Amino acid sequence: MSTVRTEEPQVPAAASAALSLDAPPPAGSIGFRQALTAEWAKLWTVRSTTWTLASLFVLGVGLTVIICAASADWLASGDADESPGSFVTWGMMFAQIPAVVLGIVVVTSEYARGLITATVAAVPRRTHVVLAKAVVVAGVLLAVATVTAFFGYWGGNAFLESTGVGLTLGDDGVIRALIGCGLYAAVLGVFGMALGLLMRHTAAAVTTALALVFVVGNLVMLVPGAVGEWLAKLMPGNAGSSIAMVTPFEGMLLGPWTGFAVFCAETALLLGVATLRFVRRDA
Amino acid sequence: MSVEPSNGDGGGMNPIAIEARGLAKTYGSTTAVDSVDFTVRPGLVTGFLGPNGAGKSTTMRMVLGLDRPSAGAVTVGGRDYREIGAPLRTVGALLDAHAVHPGRTARDHLRWLAASNSIPRRRVDDVLGLVGLESAAGVRAGKYSLGMGQRLGIAAALLGDPAVVVLDEPVNGLDPEGIRWIRSLMRQLADEGRTVFVSSHLMSEMALTADHLLVIGRGSILADTSMTEFINCYARTHVRVRAPRAGELADLLRREGLELAPADTARDEIQVLTDSTAAVGDLAGAAGLRLHELTLVRSSLEDAFMSLTAASVEFSTQAPPGPSAGPSAHLTATPAAPPESVRSISQGDAA
Repeated sequence: MSTVRTEEPQVPAAASAALSLDAPPPAGSIGFRQALTAEWAKLWTVRSTTWTLASLFVLGVGLTVIICAASADWLASGDADESPGSFVTWGMMFAQIPAVVLGIVVVTSEYARGLITATVAAVPRRTHVVLAKAVVVAGVLLAVATVTAFFGYWGGNAFLESTGVGLTLGDDGVIRALIGCGLYAAVLGVFGMALGLLMRHTAAAVTTALALVFVVGNLVMLVPGAVGEWLAKLMPGNAGSSIAMVTPFEGMLLGPWTGFAVFCAETALLLGVATLRFVRRDA
Repeated sequence: MSVEPSNGDGGGMNPIAIEARGLAKTYGSTTAVDSVDFTVRPGLVTGFLGPNGAGKSTTMRMVLGLDRPSAGAVTVGGRDYREIGAPLRTVGALLDAHAVHPGRTARDHLRWLAASNSIPRRRVDDVLGLVGLESAAGVRAGKYSLGMGQRLGIAAALLGDPAVVVLDEPVNGLDPEGIRWIRSLMRQLADEGRTVFVSSHLMSEMALTADHLLVIGRGSILADTSMTEFINCYARTHVRVRAPRAGELADLLRREGLELAPADTARDEIQVLTDSTAAVGDLAGAAGLRLHELTLVRSSLEDAFMSLTAASVEFSTQAPPGPSAGPSAHLTATPAAPPESVRSISQGDAA
């Protein structure tokens, strides 16, 4: 049997035939920039992105305004055992749901019907695929969640000011918390992405994410003693969310930046494991 | 050694071959592809034929770097797919027409693909026109019929003007007009010097489109031959004769220089390797021998394919016949014999 070897495979040159309607110019190797452009284009060409981000905004702003309006009198009274600083970003507790869902769906929607094969055929360097998705998800969530937090603050703080317990942007930790909402949502989106990459199934990944962040995060607080305290501090949702609050509700949370660093490390670890499996497994 | 595209002076397509050497894929204890060797050459439509579950899709997925071979390697132009600089500009593939996001429009689907490999945006509308989807370009892919989905998949495959085109069962879901369209498209792609690798489980479809044939069954290559040679070997005609005095007639026909296939004397039946019933009938008549049957028999390629793969069909409606395939019989063996007698064709290279 004769073997065929083409010495130097090149990009197809312009062929005269009709199929090469307008042959592309010679190309070099594609790199991370192309993967990023492709993922960006993918994100904005499905309706679920718009809906998810819209619900993030509505929940984040709306619930903050509502809780502030409802609590303003109480906070101004002598009975209050919480600080107004715990309330100006309150809606972001719920806005984390769309944030983590966005990250999950960016991955699992590709597995639902096998689109991932097209993605991997187009960008065979799978680490590029993962990094590009992570950058796009984190970037979009950072921007949208930060803007959401500011609007929520302005709306909610207006009610607090009316009873004299309002905060100003210059107060300690306010700006940090508002930008922190964006930072937390961004990393949470990547956390969801990693879960999606590991589970490949929307429902399974969403359930796991919500259980980890909302249920288990609170349940471990019931574990007695120092073990329970540390478990609670280190759970992803608890560690990460302290940066998003001016004054944390629970005194046992890690400090804002320490907690965020822990959450980043946990996310990086999860994404690392997910990427390793993604690279090694069949697409 | 390099090979020129068959059209020689047409186009400027760089010939790029697909080469598999010892390529294997196992899932646990199941062997999907069993150490196969083959070369898919430029300028030809190479049909990849096999029953469902024979290993066609797995092989194609390994070509595209989607699945990792358990052993061996498959290269495109001498390189691992993952090492090709801009893969969509070298290899275009349609593996699964469903592999789109149902909420994304056809144009947007092609746009992100183009962006991923630095393919100019205008090329998107070019290929949409090429497959006849201009008017549906803004429709979400989830609303597409299977046939439209296939066309979108083909548009995606041609997006990068690739030298190698890999199509997995492309006629699935297409209407007769669409099937004719894809046949002529594959012909045109091959005539331009491109490597066209197309899978099917239908022999009749392959007979109409393929220049070269790779038959796969249970993960092994059962035949690697040119279509012409395959047809010459199997699509032979013979004359079936039943006569009360079959032995006498057989002697007569042999004396007259006709060739006979091994006879089933129990049924007073002989098979004459000729396409002329008149010649046989006249000779019998002149000798005064009565005939009970005189039939021109064409053995179909479908029969040939069925018998070739019978032993390797994964899900069969009946028990597979006789001894399993062994790489002994060769293409040249007993051409007019019923296909059942040919158990295997091993690597009959027909180039």
